[in-house]
This record gives sequence, C-alpha cells and structure tokens, in this order.
Amino acid sequence: GVVPLLLVLHWKHGAGTPLPITPVNATCATRHPCHSNLMNQIRNQLAQLNGSANALFILYYTAQGEPFPNNLDKLCGPNVTDFPPFHANGTEKTRLVELYRIIAYLGASLGNITRDQKVLNPNALSLHSKLNATADILRGLLSNVLCRLCNKYHVAHVDVAYGPDTSGKDVFQKKKLGCQLLGKYKQVIAVVAQA
Amino acid sequence: MLTLQTWIVHVLFIFFTTESVGELLEPCGYIKPESPVVQLGSNFTAVCVLKEKCMDYFHVNASYIFWKTNHLTVPKEQYTTINKTASSVTFTDTSSLNTQLTCNIRTFGQIDQNVYGIRIISGLPPEKPKNLSCIVNEGKKMMCQWDPGRETYLETNFTLKSEWATEKFADCKTKRDTPTSCTVDYSPVYFVNTEVWVEAENALGKVTSDHINFDPVDKVKPNPPHNLSVSNSEELSSILKLTWINSSIQDFIRLKYNIQYRTRDSSVWNQIPPEDTASTRSSFTVQDLKPFTEYVFRIRCMKEDGKGFWSDWSEEASGITYEDRPSKAPSFWYKIEPSHTHGYRSVQLIWKTLPPFEANGKILDYEVTLTRWKSRLQNYTVNETKWTVNITNDRYIATLTVRNLVGKSDAAVLTIPAYDFKATRPVRDLKAFPKDNMLWVEWTAPNESVNKYILEWCVLSDKSPCIPDWQQEDGLVHRTYLRGNLAESKCYLITVTPVFADGPGSPESIKAYLKQAPPSKGPTVRTKKVGKNEAVLEWDQLPVDVQNGFIRNYTIFYRTIIGNETAVNVDSSHTEYTLSSLTSDTLYMVRMAAYTDEGGKDGPEFTFTTPKFAQGEIEAIVVPVCLAFLLTTLLGVLFCFNKRDLIKKHIWPNVPDPSKSHIAQWSPHTPPRHNFNSKDQMYSDGNFTDVSVVEIEAANDKKPFPEDLKSLDLFKKEKISTEGHSSGIGGSSCMSSSRPSISSSDENESAQNTSGTVQYSTVVHSGYRHQVPSVQVFSRSESTQPLLDSEERPEDLQLVENTESSAGSFPRQQYFKQNCSQRDTSPDISHFERSKQVSSVNEEDFVRLKQQMSDISKPFEAGQMKMFQEISVADAFGPHTDGLVEGFETVGMEAAVDEGMPKSYLPQTVRRGGYMPQ
Repeated sequence: GVVPLLLVLHWKHGAGTPLPITPVNATCATRHPCHSNLMNQIRNQLAQLNGSANALFILYYTAQGEPFPNNLDKLCGPNVTDFPPFHANGTEKTRLVELYRIIAYLGASLGNITRDQKVLNPNALSLHSKLNATADILRGLLSNVLCRLCNKYHVAHVDVAYGPDTSGKDVFQKKKLGCQLLGKYKQVIAVVAQA
Repeated sequence: MLTLQTWIVHVLFIFFTTESVGELLEPCGYIKPESPVVQLGSNFTAVCVLKEKCMDYFHVNASYIFWKTNHLTVPKEQYTTINKTASSVTFTDTSSLNTQLTCNIRTFGQIDQNVYGIRIISGLPPEKPKNLSCIVNEGKKMMCQWDPGRETYLETNFTLKSEWATEKFADCKTKRDTPTSCTVDYSPVYFVNTEVWVEAENALGKVTSDHINFDPVDKVKPNPPHNLSVSNSEELSSILKLTWINSSIQDFIRLKYNIQYRTRDSSVWNQIPPEDTASTRSSFTVQDLKPFTEYVFRIRCMKEDGKGFWSDWSEEASGITYEDRPSKAPSFWYKIEPSHTHGYRSVQLIWKTLPPFEANGKILDYEVTLTRWKSRLQNYTVNETKWTVNITNDRYIATLTVRNLVGKSDAAVLTIPAYDFKATRPVRDLKAFPKDNMLWVEWTAPNESVNKYILEWCVLSDKSPCIPDWQQEDGLVHRTYLRGNLAESKCYLITVTPVFADGPGSPESIKAYLKQAPPSKGPTVRTKKVGKNEAVLEWDQLPVDVQNGFIRNYTIFYRTIIGNETAVNVDSSHTEYTLSSLTSDTLYMVRMAAYTDEGGKDGPEFTFTTPKFAQGEIEAIVVPVCLAFLLTTLLGVLFCFNKRDLIKKHIWPNVPDPSKSHIAQWSPHTPPRHNFNSKDQMYSDGNFTDVSVVEIEAANDKKPFPEDLKSLDLFKKEKISTEGHSSGIGGSSCMSSSRPSISSSDENESAQNTSGTVQYSTVVHSGYRHQVPSVQVFSRSESTQPLLDSEERPEDLQLVENTESSAGSFPRQQYFKQNCSQRDTSPDISHFERSKQVSSVNEEDFVRLKQQMSDISKPFEAGQMKMFQEISVADAFGPHTDGLVEGFETVGMEAAVDEGMPKSYLPQTVRRGGYMPQ
C-alpha cells in the first residue's frame, strides 16, 4: 500500500505519463506517526494553495505573453475534462480520497507545466519559483492526506488519474493546456479550501 | 657469442638482485591489529607474529621480541610470549592520542632489528548530539543546529536526517567548518510535520540524537514588515499612524507584532503593548504622543501563536505629531540696567525659549504686557527672547505669553519692584554640589510663599567677564540642577533669587565646580625674608582660571642639595609661611604645590641661600669689639697721658742733638729774643726759670738787633734771680730732661752738672778760664741728637738721674715743655722736624749740598768746615739750600742763628781750645 503512494509522492517533473497506481494489499504504515492536527495542517495547506492560486494563474498567463492575457476565457478557461471530481458535501474520508486524487492529478500536471515553462520561458524565474513552491505544497498536502487516510481510515491505496502528457504537443498547446490547468486549479482549490 | 654471454650474465644478475631485494623488503613479521583505533582509557593488546623464515635466518623466536612505543622500550612486564612465533603486549588505560608501536627483535645478541610497526590512534566515541533545533528563515531553506557533545579527538561525521511520515529526505552532511549545523537542500514545506535527527559517527561508534518532530511553520522566522511609514493627524496632536507591508508569509499564517517608538533625541525605545498588536495587521495608530514631537518607529513580527522566531526589526520610520498650544508659560526674568534719564530705569525683560516638548509647535512670537501701578496695560509683540524698555521708578507688573500656530500659552507674570524697593527674605542654607555629572543646587525656602526661583550662574575667570546664564524653577522646588552647558574645572558663581508676589527677594550666592581637577599651575613661591635659620616664604593666590577646584591646602617642599625633602602643609588661606630650623649658609630649594580635592600641582622650584650670620649678628660682634677697642685705646691714651712722663722716660728719653746745638753766650746784657716774649708772657709767674740765653758772637758782620739783645738781657736777669735752679742751657727737645745747670760762673758746678749730659757748655768766645772775655758768651747745644755716638750712654744715665730728680727739675721741664709745645704748635718747627729726617737723605743730595756750601765755608778752617757741612746737611730740608740762615730764622732764633752759624762750631773750637765736654 505505501509503495504506490511513495511513488506518487516522488513523482518527477517531466514524467510524461501518470504513475500507475497499483493496489497493494499491504498494511498501511508510515515512517513515523502522523501528527495529531493533520486536518488543521491540511486546511492550512489548502488555504495556502488557494491563496497563491490566483497569483500563479496570473503569473502564468502573463508570462506566456499574447494572446493569453487578453483571451483568458478562450485560452485559459477551466476546460479540463478529466479533472478528478470533488464533492464538498461528502464525508471526510470521501473528501480526503477525492482530494488525494485531485492533488495527485495537479501534482503531475504541475510537473509537466514546470518542465515545459523552463523550456518555453526560461527567464520567467518568478513563475518557475511559484510553480515549484506550489508543487512543494502539493507534495506536503499529499503526504498529510495520505497520512490522515492511512492513520485514521487505514486507506492504504487510492486509485488516481493523471492529465494528458504534453511532451509531444506544440508550444502553444503546452501553454494553453498549462493555462487551462492553472485556471482549473484556481477554481477547484477555492472549492476544496472552503470544504 | 660473447655478446650473448654478457647478456645472460646481466639477466642473471638482475634476477638474483631482484630476488634478494624482495627478500630484504619482506618484513620479518607483522602486528595485529594493523590500524587500531583505541578508546581513551581502555586496554589495548597487540600481537607480533614472527615468520619462520626470519626466525631461522636470525636464529630467534618470540622470546626475543621487545616492544617500543614512540622509540621507548615497553617494560617486559607488559609482554606475553604466546608461542614460539608470537608475543603480545598489553597497554592499560591508554591516554596517548597517537602512539607509534613497533615490534623488535635482538639478533646475534646485540643488533636490534625492527620487525613491524603500527600507529595506534586513540579517541572517544561521539556523544549523543543535544539541543537539536531548527529554524526556517522565510524564503530560505531550513537550517538545524545542535550541540555535538564532548571532543572525540577523532574525525567525526554529523549527518542531519529528516523525513515526513511518508517520505524521507536526503541526508544533510555537515561541512568541515560548521560541524554543528546543517542547512537542508530542499525548500521547506509548511504544515507538514517533519522529523529531524542527527547522527554522529566516528571510528569508535555512531550515535543518534533524539528525534524532533515539528511543523516547519512553527520554526519560521518571518521576514520583517517593510515599507513602514508614519503619518500624523491634524485633528489629534497626540497620535501617529503607522502603515507597513507584511511579508508574504502572512498569506497563510497569522502574525503578531512588536511596535517600538522613541523620540528623535532619545535612545530608549518604548513599546506598544503587545496585546494591542497580537493579530495580523498592516497599520497601527499610536496614541498619547506629545505634540509637535518627532518619533521614530520600528516593527517586527512573528507567528501569531508565538511559535517560531521574531523577525528582524524593520527599518526605522519617523513622523512628527501635529502642533498644540504651548503647554507652559516660559521662564521670565528681568535685569535692571542703568539709565541716563532721570526718574526712569532701563529694564531688560528676558525669557527662555520653551523646549519643544512645551512649545508644542513652532513659536511664532511673544506677547509682553507691562502694567504700571493702577494704570492700563500696554501690549508688545516681540520676536526675540529679550526686550528692553524704559520704565519709571514705579512698580510694574509684566506678563509674557508665547504663541504658536495653534494658540497661546499661559501667561508668565513678573513683578518689577519700585526703585526704592529693598529686597529681603533670601533663601537659606544654599548649597551646590556635583552629582551624576550635573551641578546640583539645594536651598531652604524662605518662610514666605515663593512664586518661583531664579538661578543665575556664570564662570568666574580673570580673563573674561562673568556672563550669567539663568534658569527658572517652580516655587515648590528647593533642589535642582543647572541645565546649562557646564564645563569641568570651572568655578561657577551660582546665585539663587526667590521671587515673591511683590517682587524678587534677596539673592544668595555660592561657588561650585562641576568637577574639580588638579590646578593647572602650581603656586610660585619666593622668599620674602631670609634669615640665618629661617626664611619667610610668600606666594600669590592662584588665579581662578588655573585653580580648577577649591584650593584646599598648600604643601611646601624644601630641601638642601644633599638633604631629604621636607614637606610642610599650609592652609589655603595663607599666603606666606616661615620655614624655621634652617641651616645657615646653605642653599635651599623650595617648591610649592597647591591641592584641590582632585590632586595637586607643583609650582616652579625656587632656590635661596641662608646667610652665614643673622642680621645684626656682625654688628653685635663688631660694635662691642670696636667699643672695647676704643675703650681700651682711650684708657691707654689716658694712661699714657697720665703717665706720659714715666713712659717718656722709658721709651723716648730726651736726647739732645749735637748737630743742633748752639753755643750761646749767657750774657746778662744780651736782650732776650723776640720769640721768647710769648714764653715770658705765658710763664710770667716765674716758673720759667731755666732759660739759657745764648749770646753768640757772630762770625759774620751781622750784628744782633737791639731787641734781641734786650731779650737776652732779660733772660740774664731772670737767670740771676733764679740762680741755683737754672742750668743756663735747656734741652732742645721736650722729651729731653736736664738737670739744673749753672752758668759758666761756676765752672766746677757746671762741669758737674753737665758731666752727665755734656750737651751744654759755656763758651768764652775770646778765651777760657784765664781769659776773661769782655762779653760772656754762652753756647748751648739744642740738638736732640747725641753729640757723639760714644756719648749716648752717658745721656741714658742722665735720663735716669733726671727721673730721680724730676721734682727739682720741674721748672726746667716746663720750659722744655714750652719748647715742645711751641714746636708742636709752630709751623716753623716743621723745618726742625724735617731736619731730623736728614738721616734718610741720600748721599747724593748730601754731596750736592756740600758742594753748594763749600763756597760759603771757604773762609773757615778745616774743623769748622766740617761742622758746617753737618749743619748744612741738616738744613738741606729747608726751603732753600742756600738759605741756611733763613732756616734758623724760622726757628725764631734768627739773630742767634745768623750770627751763630759759625758759633755752632764752637765746640770744635773749644775742643781745640781745650774745653772737653764730659
């Protein structure tokens, strides 16, 4: 059960395809006991992400240049079809599992975007930094969620899905997909943070 | 063929050489363990194993082994021979950190051969790291530090390990220069608990610190707020509003703040109560500030719950509160200045600028009102802090208000008393003393209620005038410090004046120093009076500019060149001092030091020499001595005077001078000489009884004057009347004495009388004894010189006889005295005295005179010529060498001399004629 989770936690930027999540019937175990106020930490992390999502989105489309800033609706609309769903009115476990999938999805996508932007906009250091910081927060959030699921709900395995691999796409598509993802991210994280 | 043989030889040589070298390089044995690391204080055993080949070669076994540590042989007690080939050595409680251990054998009984050597490294295993803590500087990576524990003396590696519950991070290896801290190489992720620990490892072991588990957000040190700005409010002069921008961490954590402020000129920070700033904010309004005052602010933040670290202080920002009306009336005082206008006074009103904390804004101007007794007030607006006005001698009341942009202050009221007002009621017990680098003034208030006190002070100096500064104190104050810019080592004259409702009281003054110092110069001492054993020193008081403090006392140091220095303390009120017990005729070096409370300063050295004698001492010695001498002399003189005859007889007897003898003719018909008249008058009482009258029958043609003949006649008569007492011929010297002599009428008697003295003779010009001359002529010698050298002794005898018969010869002595007196008083006698000095005349003069006189003496006989020459010598001291006759005239016997010159040689004639004086 832990191994696939660790694989998720250790995803690398540029991994073209989502890591395969294979259910393992191992017992749920962590390296050390999880902290007692995990939920608070998760909420803070969501708030932290929510607080920086818009800035990241702006920073991103700004860095892409025209036509993105003036065509946000067309180019950066949250039209991500395979984005994992989130039901704010679900149980904590359900929400945590859905959150886990979202974070895994976002993490992988953010890795792709970061990889592409280092190529497409190598001088947009602020953007790079912001992308990395967001990715780090997502990693921490994923760790906390997993710890909570494992510790409290003994969930050792969650099936996850990843977005499309952008490595084979053209520059504009990369930028567009990235912008769409960040737009979606901003939208979703606001909902999750409120849940 | 030959080449091949040579090649083979070379190959064999190389082969055997290599083989033998290989054997030599191979050790004879080895030590186990090879590279030991031993814990300090523990036991350590090493085993040396010999090789069989080596044992056979050297004929040794394990018993031949001996050990050395750092080239020192280890005692055999520590050895153990395990078997034939192995020997061990054991060290207990190893303390050396680095030891070289060698295994050796003694071959052939005397050669020590090193078998093998190892190096023992000693140290300690690492201690468990303690006090592990981490900090996350915002925007930077996490850094952890710990206490490594004791020194291990070995290379020890510290590794910081960290992990999430689900993930392990890469180890953080410490750098060599920072072995007690490490900064991880991943960005901190907040809100995820991280477990951190440290592993310390060296050759002796590995130890792990306690694990700490924390959320990095609880270890964060935020960046300080930035862009701090300050703004004031026109509505409220006591507030300032701060605004700032928080660091980005406030996006996901809540912050609390510390806000501190101070006035611009202060260094002490005041802090806003923390509970007022315990939540995230970006602005704050500071209240209860002073109007028109510049404040400086700074701010810092940390996580609201207090976990983590305070940020650094932000950059300072300052702002000025808005103005308010002056909060206090200014200090107000006056000075009366002399005025040339009769009935008016010139009053200078002076006041102090309000300090900013009382002015509460920029001072625009001052408003002065002046009210004469029972008359309306007059308003004046002044921009300066003084105002001079001429007022009458009446009493006035002056008020002063200060104005700024917002309003006016309260009025300061001052009563200027009338001209004839007499100030009284001074403060009592006025004191001034330095404390805490300030000059404090303390006094006791007068009994009456005091409105305020005016303190004036100035620097006392000989070089500059007293320029007073002043300050005002409230009427309830009785102790304050001078708020001026005071200098150390300056003498301040402080005056305190109480101000009552009806005017100022009597001022009281005191001198004080903010801080005393030793005098800049020492006093210059000098002597006022120097005595034999004491010296009065004097000096001038030091000028106030060099005193630098209150002169408490003086010390006089004095010493001789070789002596020890003596110090004398003198009260500061004195300006002179008497050094006593000094040694006379000694050089003293004296200097003087003046002392304040803080030390002293020596003045220049002064030298003086004590005199050998005290003043008047010489006089005290000399005057009595002189007096004694004078007294002695006087007594001697008196004695001589009283005993002059006796002395004369013993010391200076009368000696007739044959060369001045005259042959006189005692002729009763010969008138007495003129110069005897005075004698006659003087001795008219008949005491003059021993006068011989010499009547000389001059050889020359000159006749005696009738007067002379008369006098001679008179003498003759007197002689007759005093016959039996007169010798007829007197001595020419006052000191000579003569016995009474009888004139030629009694030859025997005469011969007897003159037998002792011989100087006198009666000469009969025309014959002797049997020849009766017509005129009896007496010749007399008046010489003080002995007639002949051989005849001096008889004179001495005569002197003795005369002494014995002094009573009988007194009258004649009177006569001789008269002669003496006459000679003493008569300047003519000087010729005679000079004649006595003839003996000192040189022969040249003598010869010359003889030549001169030879022409004159030609008509005479040889014998006469001789005598003439002698007389001429005697008269050579006369005014004229040819004035022989004149020389005798001056004696007062002109006639006798003039005519008797040839007669003076009558003794020779007598001698020739048969008369021989006895």
